[in-house]
Amino acid sequence: MSFRQPSVLPGFGLTFGFTTFFLSAIVLLPLAALALAAASLHWSDFVHVVLSPRALGSYRLSFGASFLAAAINLVFGLIIAWTLVRYEFPGRGLIDALIDMPFALPTAVSGIALTTVFAHNGWIGRYLEPWGVKVAYTWVGVTLALTLISMPFAVRAVQPALLEVQRDLEEAAETLGAGRIYVFRRIILPAVLPALLTGFTLAFARALGEYGSVIFIAGNLPMKTEITPLLIVIHLEEFDYHGAAALGVVMLGFSFVVLLAINLLQAWGRRRHVRAAH
Amino acid sequence: MSITLDQVTKHYAGAPVVNDVSLDIGDGEFFVLLGPSGSGKSTLLRAIAGLSGVDHGRIALHGRDVTHVAARKRGVGLVFQNYALFRHMTVAENIEFALRVRHMRAGARRQRRQELLRLVALEGMDQRLPAQLSGGQQQRVAVARALAHKPEVLLLDEPFGALDAKIREELRRTIRQVQRELGITTVLVTHDQEEAFAMADRIGVMNLGRLLEMGAPHDLYSRPATRFVATFLGAANLILARRTPDGIQMGANTVAAAERSADVEEREVVAVVRPEEVEVAASREALSSGYLARGVVAEVVFTGALESLRVRLENGVQAPLLAQPDGAAGASLLVTRTQHEQRGFEIHPGQDVAIGVRRVHVLPTPLSSFTACAASPALADALSRQPLLAELAVRMKTRIAMRAEPQLGVPEAACAADGPFVGTTALASQTDCAHRAEWLLRRGAQDLLVLPEHAAVPQRVLIHWMGEGSRSATLAVSASVLRHLSAEAVYVGIFPQQSARVRAQHGMRDLLDARSEAQLAHGLEMRTELRFGDVAQELALRLAEAPAQMLIVGVTDLTRFAERFRGLLDGGQWPMLIVYRGSP
Repeated sequence: MSFRQPSVLPGFGLTFGFTTFFLSAIVLLPLAALALAAASLHWSDFVHVVLSPRALGSYRLSFGASFLAAAINLVFGLIIAWTLVRYEFPGRGLIDALIDMPFALPTAVSGIALTTVFAHNGWIGRYLEPWGVKVAYTWVGVTLALTLISMPFAVRAVQPALLEVQRDLEEAAETLGAGRIYVFRRIILPAVLPALLTGFTLAFARALGEYGSVIFIAGNLPMKTEITPLLIVIHLEEFDYHGAAALGVVMLGFSFVVLLAINLLQAWGRRRHVRAAH
Repeated sequence: MSITLDQVTKHYAGAPVVNDVSLDIGDGEFFVLLGPSGSGKSTLLRAIAGLSGVDHGRIALHGRDVTHVAARKRGVGLVFQNYALFRHMTVAENIEFALRVRHMRAGARRQRRQELLRLVALEGMDQRLPAQLSGGQQQRVAVARALAHKPEVLLLDEPFGALDAKIREELRRTIRQVQRELGITTVLVTHDQEEAFAMADRIGVMNLGRLLEMGAPHDLYSRPATRFVATFLGAANLILARRTPDGIQMGANTVAAAERSADVEEREVVAVVRPEEVEVAASREALSSGYLARGVVAEVVFTGALESLRVRLENGVQAPLLAQPDGAAGASLLVTRTQHEQRGFEIHPGQDVAIGVRRVHVLPTPLSSFTACAASPALADALSRQPLLAELAVRMKTRIAMRAEPQLGVPEAACAADGPFVGTTALASQTDCAHRAEWLLRRGAQDLLVLPEHAAVPQRVLIHWMGEGSRSATLAVSASVLRHLSAEAVYVGIFPQQSARVRAQHGMRDLLDARSEAQLAHGLEMRTELRFGDVAQELALRLAEAPAQMLIVGVTDLTRFAERFRGLLDGGQWPMLIVYRGSP
């Protein structure tokens, strides 16, 4: 590798230095501290903490609800992005701005708002109650909260990709005899698939780390509606720093594996294209 | 007929983008739609493909009315300027797309693909991705893809636009060859006249949404009917000349016209002289063609095979020159000379030369130039800056002369200015306008344009004539005006109220006759309407229905003219063009 590569920013050496420094100081160092804290725990204690039934229940909820939320956003994010990209209508700018609202809102506020609406006597919850559908204080509520806060990621990831799909391509397919569904399946979807996966990944990662909004609507029943981040906080409140760190490390490991898997999937998809070329 | 368009019209935001286009394209014909950007040619092509609907009119492919048939069921192949290849598919998958949609078996698909790849000379490229091909190769794939499902019609939307000159020529040849081999009816859209000449069996020239002229490349080039086609197809010197019994008089000298005209009336005409038809020599005696004037060489540009000159005219023809191909002002002629001519007579800037004209073509347009006529020079000058008049003059690349008539409108008074009325006379709309109009018409003005102070470019032109004697002239003038406007043409037939029932059938036939004459003789497409009542009253009612309208009215008889038209003319809101052809 050569450190002499012409570019606008001053010097590859300098920028590379900054990159490694910042990554280390902001990402790697705290993570290392976390791992170190967990490492100071005895192996049997570690296993006891991370494999306790309560912890296992929280993993299931955290990963399951996050995955579901990301999947929901995959579908609806695509539809929202499509509407915003393809149609001209009054108030489009407003809706476009609204997408980012979950970014700006303190997550606790979203949680409280959702609870107000979906509690058994809330605006919507009131009408769901007679049907036996309970949202607040169940895993449904958790999923709902996670869907809300991770939605912008899905939309914003797909939007530019949809902009790139030229109208011409659809029109070409149309003159060749393809119907709408065929055009969507064979032309539009393949073009936006990488962006969709990215959106899914971002939404999933965001949902996994979410804490503020969930604790209000979840009800936090151990084994049932308790997410892993909350369990970590509970450990902290009991001054069990090492236990908290142990759970943190497990989450970190899981997340890393999932994200890596999706990234590899994308890379594989890209490689397949290039290989098909030769 | 393979493709039949009947009065196809498409509006965008109220303005017609494609304006009443009717067209028949024969089996196996290579038709080129030529026009500047924004002329509506691409919109028309998309309408044929079914990618955009039409607001009015019908489209038929091979006798099947497809006006309301979806693009995917029309059986057309379309090639886009930017190729529009599916980037995530290989060449093979791209070409087989239409076959896969139709559930063709893999074996048959492969066979058809091989055939097509051979046709566009891309054998062995099956497994490449579009990104791995050059622009020219990508466009070949696009052509093969568009032909896969054996469409009855091939449509090409500026297919060479993104390619460099050498590749472009090669691809042109390939496409022409493929087209001949398959005998497929083809429509190509382009703004490049050279491309149109090279490929077309027939060219249709579009401007402002209207199909102006159609014909074989050579015919259009040598005998254009409109200013636009004359200047858009190659360079042209447009010269205001006078047709006399002896020939075409340009300035002091008369040159023979290229073709005999049935119209022998002596009047001002627009003459087209191609740069290659201009001859320059050291002296008048050395010219082998008709002498025009002397001139000074202003500019010499070497362009390879040809030498391009700009020659400033010195005597005789000065102001008459209208359009300069590059828009430069001043009375100068554009001349091109071959190497052979250059060797015979070497030329340097500043040199004094004699100019001859080998061939002159006269445009059939009745509108040659404008003369703003008012009671004083100051008023005439003000009138010449009226927005509609100024805009028309610019679009028609013609001049506005001024004529002061202090006695304008005074009964029995004679014309103050010398000479006959030349071209179209413009008059400001004001009180007593009807009398002034009659005054001018009785003293020799034939085409009179009456302009309200603020009238702008109209969006609809109503056409009517009183007396069959003025029908042909009115249609010719209307066609000429409408070529320069992005407006809808409506012929309004009006019959007296009491005879409504008796004349209704008769009236319908008159309308259809008028429409077909407009179409055949003047290339003008118009809508038709039938009304009953008093002519001036009905026209006023019709004009009041919408803003931005203009009226063209043919007149053969001036008795009670002022009285009848007072309502329309005196302080009127609408521009009105009166075409007067008195019966002999």
